[in-house]
Amino acid sequence: MMPFARKPRVAFFDFACCEGCQLSILELDEKLFDLLAHVEVVAWREVMSEISEEYDIAFCEGSITRQQDIERIKTIRDKAEIVVSLGTCASISCHNALKNKWAMNELLALVYSEYGEHIDTIPARPIADVVNVDYQILGCPVSLPEFETVFKRILTRQAYTPSNQPVCVECKRNDILCVHEKGMVCLGPVTRCGCNAICTAFGDACRGCRGLIDDANLEAPVRALFGEKLHPIMAEVARNNRLTGKEIIARFSLYNNTGRVGKGEESSDGTA
Amino acid sequence: MAAPDRQQAADISIISYMPERAKVISTHRESSATTIELVLEDGRPLHHSPGQFVQVSVFGYGEAPLSLCSSPTRSESFSICVQPKGNVSRAITALSSGDWVGIRGPYGQGFFPIDQMRRKNVLLVAGGIGIAPLRSLIHFICDKQKDYGRLQVVYGAKTPSTLLFQKETAQWVENPHLDFYLTVDQPDKTWQGRTGVVTEPLREMDLAPDNTIAAICGPPVMFRFVAMELLQKGLSGENIYFSLERRFKCGIGKCGHCQLNDLYVCRDGPVFRYSDLQTRKEAGEAWVPEKAQDAAKEEKR
Amino acid sequence: MTPRGIQIISGPDFNMFLEAIMAVQTVIGPRERGDQPGYYLFSRLQRAEDFAPGYKTTTLPPKKILASPKEKLFSFTFDKPPRLRLHVDASPFVLLGVHPCDLAGIDALDHAYAHPPAEMRWSANRKRATIIGLDCQPDAYCFCSSVGTDAARIPCDLFLTPIDHGYLAEIHSDRGRQLLQKANTSNAGEEELAAAKRWRQQKVERIRAKFDAPLERIADILETGGLTPTWKETAKRCYSCGSCNTACPTCFCFDMIDELDPDLRGGTRYRTWDSCQLLDFAMVAGGHNFRGERWQRVRHRWQRKFLYLFRQFGRPYCTGCGRCSRACTVDINIVDVTNQLIAAAKMEG
Repeated sequence: MMPFARKPRVAFFDFACCEGCQLSILELDEKLFDLLAHVEVVAWREVMSEISEEYDIAFCEGSITRQQDIERIKTIRDKAEIVVSLGTCASISCHNALKNKWAMNELLALVYSEYGEHIDTIPARPIADVVNVDYQILGCPVSLPEFETVFKRILTRQAYTPSNQPVCVECKRNDILCVHEKGMVCLGPVTRCGCNAICTAFGDACRGCRGLIDDANLEAPVRALFGEKLHPIMAEVARNNRLTGKEIIARFSLYNNTGRVGKGEESSDGTA
Repeated sequence: MAAPDRQQAADISIISYMPERAKVISTHRESSATTIELVLEDGRPLHHSPGQFVQVSVFGYGEAPLSLCSSPTRSESFSICVQPKGNVSRAITALSSGDWVGIRGPYGQGFFPIDQMRRKNVLLVAGGIGIAPLRSLIHFICDKQKDYGRLQVVYGAKTPSTLLFQKETAQWVENPHLDFYLTVDQPDKTWQGRTGVVTEPLREMDLAPDNTIAAICGPPVMFRFVAMELLQKGLSGENIYFSLERRFKCGIGKCGHCQLNDLYVCRDGPVFRYSDLQTRKEAGEAWVPEKAQDAAKEEKR
Repeated sequence: MTPRGIQIISGPDFNMFLEAIMAVQTVIGPRERGDQPGYYLFSRLQRAEDFAPGYKTTTLPPKKILASPKEKLFSFTFDKPPRLRLHVDASPFVLLGVHPCDLAGIDALDHAYAHPPAEMRWSANRKRATIIGLDCQPDAYCFCSSVGTDAARIPCDLFLTPIDHGYLAEIHSDRGRQLLQKANTSNAGEEELAAAKRWRQQKVERIRAKFDAPLERIADILETGGLTPTWKETAKRCYSCGSCNTACPTCFCFDMIDELDPDLRGGTRYRTWDSCQLLDFAMVAGGHNFRGERWQRVRHRWQRKFLYLFRQFGRPYCTGCGRCSRACTVDINIVDVTNQLIAAAKMEG
């Protein structure tokens, strides 16, 4: 049941991101040791200082935001047998793509004034937009049970497709009270699950970090009740009692800036 | 109100979804699909009928429904023919002899007209991988030749290289008891046979419409055209059978995935009479000719 | 269904009764959610006080106890031959406080799972459960009187109706009779029987939501068709999130998945709840989706509940609990849409 001829060598790489996904994997605790027993870790900046240039499986975190990133990810692709885009930054660009609303030269002038010309920046792209990616793991940060599942799938050479079901499915399976009942607005009905509804389980709403499902109905109006426990950020949203999914995504445009999962579209209107 | 059969619920033979073990005894790879020959752990025959399917588990990968392509008349073993389309089917095609799988079944109704087919002419039309379940029926009828009338088989594939059971089909051409029409959509340079879709040989064929039963298996798009052709030739809807494909998990009409109006493809099929499907809206929307038009009309309104 | 006996339990005696059961068996019943007062869920009760007899509804029906959202089927190893072990849990428990609609839901699933070919998973869990029903008062979403479940008693062992200072307890099985022996009870008098009757009358009078046609007529309407505009209008609002299915006491569609052990030497097969409203539900291996349009999936939900399963089992696969309407974040209300369908059919003549 071990289709790899030898223990595969695993490396973690980061592009534009907070490295939170790499860090959160450490929270697997003892399970991490079980998983790592099947592989040899050769590069993992959050954990070790040694770096090897030889690896079979590359977990790549972060978005492509600089010209030099393109060269780097191509090199990784050439060396690794399996490339995994780890987390939402790597898979759908996440917050990094907020900058795509501006022209890059305007943006550089705005942020760095006259020093801007020395800075290498390009519109943020998911890794799959630049090289072929074998596995995608969504989430900001990645969900540990899902990371574990994908890790085992990789080792047994099974495909893995991020779930195309909305977060509502996992909320219900876990018998979590719908946050709409608490007067909050939630992106769960249009957002891919796989997170085991962790945000709603802890009383927050879904902010859409895993990207939209394939048939997200952005014209459907979300029920936004005006509850006492309303989060201040959502007050404005809730005052308008019938916002459509599209409008709510515009208000939560942190994550869904570069199109749908797996498509890697570069363009964006900042909404979906 | 129908009471649930409590007696049955007490029976240990009720389904737990845990399969029994079966061993791979041979594999045969062709360019578009792999045929896997299996035997149950205790060696007992599967006792299936042509057109039935089994739920095949590759542990750790999952379970998938697969048509049986062998005839119960031939051996203790049974065979499935698999195209690597998904996670499970890829794992199945990667199996080699000595490997173990899990088997549930046989399930489904199979070609239930097998008794009605007696003494009648039988026409089988296969497209692509659709030859697999029909192969079971071909073997079955060939082995019980005196019970049946003329056997005619039309088999179409996209290209010559995707033709399945090539050794066998070469023999079928020679078989005097079988009229075999082989055709490909896209011939290559070496191809000397017929070209075109399966309806073309059908058009030329001389059928006795009142004494012929037809069974069809292939991609949904093929059904519509083959059905139209056969109806035009005077076959009645009751004498045309389809083997349908759906995705399902249980195989016994519980999981809901394969529901087609009030029918479950796994439990009530996978072989259905054309005349039974005609009255089903959801079958119509997919491919029954006149129903497809009705559905389109209704959609426009 | 006529009870085999009727007894009275006072409030304090009832709490002692629960404590006595809890001493020997797990008791699962409605309790208030810790995170949001006024909302309830079925969960294990630790003490008699955890039981919330006045609950209106729960997000999920007690189905979740008998067919877990993620149910372990069997485990396997990668040995040659693989070793397989069936997962069976035989520990008994008491399922307390089940409203008539949810009893009807359990009964509906009894029929569905036992219909040949029968499966053992559901029936094995059903054998573990002693069910204590509880009468209720409706909320704005309830419409049990339209589907004939307002007085359902099958398949409970005991059934409680709140009366002043306690409960009227109907005995519906030997198991129920045995269980009730743990309680201090007295015989029911005319007064208590009248109180329970008043409770039931009040309940039915308070139900606001109603279907505008009998069930047989609704089935005919769905069969006749010509309702595409209504389906499409409803689908415009629908997220296809599946909450109507996952919150439904009679929905039982499922998926199966294999999970590997961390040591990669074996794993477990589970079945998980699935939903016909989700995009990929009717997708086949080649990529063709037999219900790819949202409106087709919306239609399927109504047809399955009020036509196919209704005709097959002679009962709607809807219990009038209103959970789907409550769970819907876009307010697709099952009663409203059904009445729209009835109205649309009238227009057609």
